[in-house]
Order: sequence, then structure tokens, then C-alpha cells
Amino acid sequence: MRLEHKKKYLQIALNSSFSEAREILFNLPVSDRILIEAGTPLIKSEGANVIREIKFLKPYSYIVADLKIMNLAKKEVILAKKNGADAVVCLGFAPIETIDEFIRLCEEYQMDSMLDMMSVKNSLLVLKKLKKPPNVVILHRGADETENREKLIPYYQIKQIQGALNNVLISVAGGDELSEIRSAIFNGVDILILWKAFYHPGAEISVLANKFLKEIQ
Amino acid sequence: MLNKKLTYLQIAFNRSLLEAQKMIVILPVSGRILIEAGTSLIKQYGVQSIIALNQFWTIRLGKPGYIVADMKCMDRGAREVRIAKSAGASAITCLAIAPIETINYFLEHCKKEKIDSMLDMMNIQFPFEILQQLRVKPDIIVLHRGLEEYQGSKKSLPIDQIAQIKRVYSPLISVAGGEDFKEVRHSVFNGADIAVVWQKFAQKPLATAETAFEFLKEIK
Repeated sequence: MRLEHKKKYLQIALNSSFSEAREILFNLPVSDRILIEAGTPLIKSEGANVIREIKFLKPYSYIVADLKIMNLAKKEVILAKKNGADAVVCLGFAPIETIDEFIRLCEEYQMDSMLDMMSVKNSLLVLKKLKKPPNVVILHRGADETENREKLIPYYQIKQIQGALNNVLISVAGGDELSEIRSAIFNGVDILILWKAFYHPGAEISVLANKFLKEIQ
Repeated sequence: MLNKKLTYLQIAFNRSLLEAQKMIVILPVSGRILIEAGTSLIKQYGVQSIIALNQFWTIRLGKPGYIVADMKCMDRGAREVRIAKSAGASAITCLAIAPIETINYFLEHCKKEKIDSMLDMMNIQFPFEILQQLRVKPDIIVLHRGLEEYQGSKKSLPIDQIAQIKRVYSPLISVAGGEDFKEVRHSVFNGADIAVVWQKFAQKPLATAETAFEFLKEIK
């Protein structure tokens, strides 16, 4: 795994159009603690080639391909690899056979495997069924779910998973408010995924990124 | 848009656009064939894949055909519907494992954009638990056995659920993941309206026309 256990990372999800994403990338500060995500809607709009374009603009960056794999793991892992991704995302709700195959292929192709637990009630139950754990577990509240105030990110699961599995990093997505970010950090998150603050380009992107990097130090 | 009295063959394309073009131009001219831009194809080429398949099939049919965008929407329901609609899709899929909020946004936006909604029940044990929570019901329910599920544990197709769902709701039922002629015949016999196939076509792309004829005969 390319990511270090002792470091805390900020993952910036690019979900708007590619022209906007390009501007955002130009304004991002250089830091090995920033991971760049090619978001699912961006990939579905532009195609996986967008991963390569991001790599071209930020050659030394760590790129996450948020493919949200549900089926045909081999095809999609190879697609991410061919386009230069460093990590790829599979859904925790996918059939166990698909997740096992996904993790095995990520290892074979030397990419980090990220398992997105969106909609999964008990992440540990899924993780215990797997032949091998993924490199990263993502605790995720979807963008459409954020309007439902009753749906909270299960921060308590961070320690649960870290306690049960040694070498797994925990990532949190879907909590973009400052109070939520602080809760994630307080509970020991390794990677903080944000998108709202980085949805539209602007001069303040660099300041924001530095601010969030300071928060999760 | 689909006729409830007919049964349809949905052919999914998951590899390259070039191959898809070569296969579509030799398909039989039939309104009972639906063309699917598979999830992998969409992730590879983006919306361009939907636009291209739409063009190939329109040219072959001599009129606009029915194009399914297998987006497997999991989040941002409204956005993904808009993406598919703008590319000319006739139907779009959403995963039933998605948050209920996403499925509701998805279904409402499908109605608004006048595009058929397909809810993919892959890895859902009890479809009714999901269906009961929805404000709007999907036009088509997809009962789906994934490729790895079949290869790994030889899981059977959830055909028994067709009649159960049809007894309560009246959507069209699509069955995906049953790839041989026997399974397709079995699905249709049990009330499926759409049979989704791809492997047989992918194995022998040059025999696309013959394979399609065979399948159409099975689902008469």
C-alpha cells in the first residue's frame, strides 16, 4: 500500500464537469497528503480517460478511481489500472464473490483497494465474510442522504474496525460540515473525503485545502 | 414506452464501441430488441457510449430504438438521470441497494424527464422491503444475478420472485444474469418481460445475428 498508516490524508472528490475539475486541480497546493478522486459522476460523464487526464495535470498525485464496482470486478479494475489510478473503489454491498475478486485483483495489479460501505449497516459483518480485508474502508453517507438529518455517519465504527483489523485505513465521506469533520478526526479517521467545498473552482481552493490539511494533521 | 404484452431481448454491450458497432449493424431489425450501454462501457467511454449506441441502433432500425443506460446509480439520483437523458437514453438503472433517498430522487426525476426507470435488485434478498418504502414505483424491476455470484457460488436466478412481485405491483420484470437459452426460456415462462443477455454475444461476436434470432425465438 502506498498510503502510510501514520499520516492523515485529505481526499478531494472531483464531481463537477472536467473543465471545472481542471481549474480546481490548478489551484490545489502540492502535498503528499492530498489524494485526488475522480468521482463517479465525472467518470460516467467523461469516461475513465478522465483519470489519465488528472494524472497528466498532477503527475505525482495519488488518484482514486471511484468506480463503485458492483459487478464485473476484473473489467473495472483493469480499466482503472490502464488509466493510471492508484486506488479503486468497490461497493461494500456488492456480492461477496465480487468483493473478494476485487481485492485479489487490486493486489495483483498493485493498486489500493477501497471498500465503500454506503448503505451497509454493519461494516464489520461484511469485512468478516471476506477472504482478505481491503486496504481502505470508506464509511459513507451519500450526497442524497445528507438532507435526511436522521442519517448520521457511523463514526463509532472507525474504532470498531481499527480494533478488529490492523492494517486497514478508515476513510469518511459525506460529512462536509466542520463539526462533522472534527467528529471524524476525533474518532481517528485516516482519510477525510470532501467534495462540497471543492465543487466549483475559485481562488480560495488553495486556502481551503490548506485549512483542511491543518485540521486533520 | 414498452408494450406490456410483448417480451423483449435486452443485449448488453460491455467491451468496446468498435465491437458494439460491428455487432449492432448485423442485428435483426426488431423492435423487441433493446440495446444496453453496460456499466463498464459507460465507465470506459462516458456518455459518449450511450450516444454512439443510440446512433448505431437508430441507423440499423431506420428509426429511434430503445437504449438502456445501465448507470447502476448509487448516489446523486437526479444528476445521473439528467446525464443519461441528455445522451438520449430511453431507460436508466438504479441500484436497489442505494439509499432510499437516492432511489426516490431517481424515480421522481425519471418521471420528470420522461425516461423509464429500472430498479436493479442485485444482492437484494427481499425486494418488497425496498419497494414498500418508495414514493413512486419503478417502471421496470430488474432481478439480477451478478457474474461473480454465478461463477463463484453458482447462485440460482431469483425467478420465483417474478410472480410474487407481479401479484402486488404491475411493473415490467427484467431478468439479468441468466445467460443460456434454457435460463432465458425459463425466465420468460415464469413471467419475465425482458431477458438481459450479453455473454453469448460476447463469446461469438460474428454470430450476433444468429444468436439474436435464437433468443428471440425462445422468448416469443
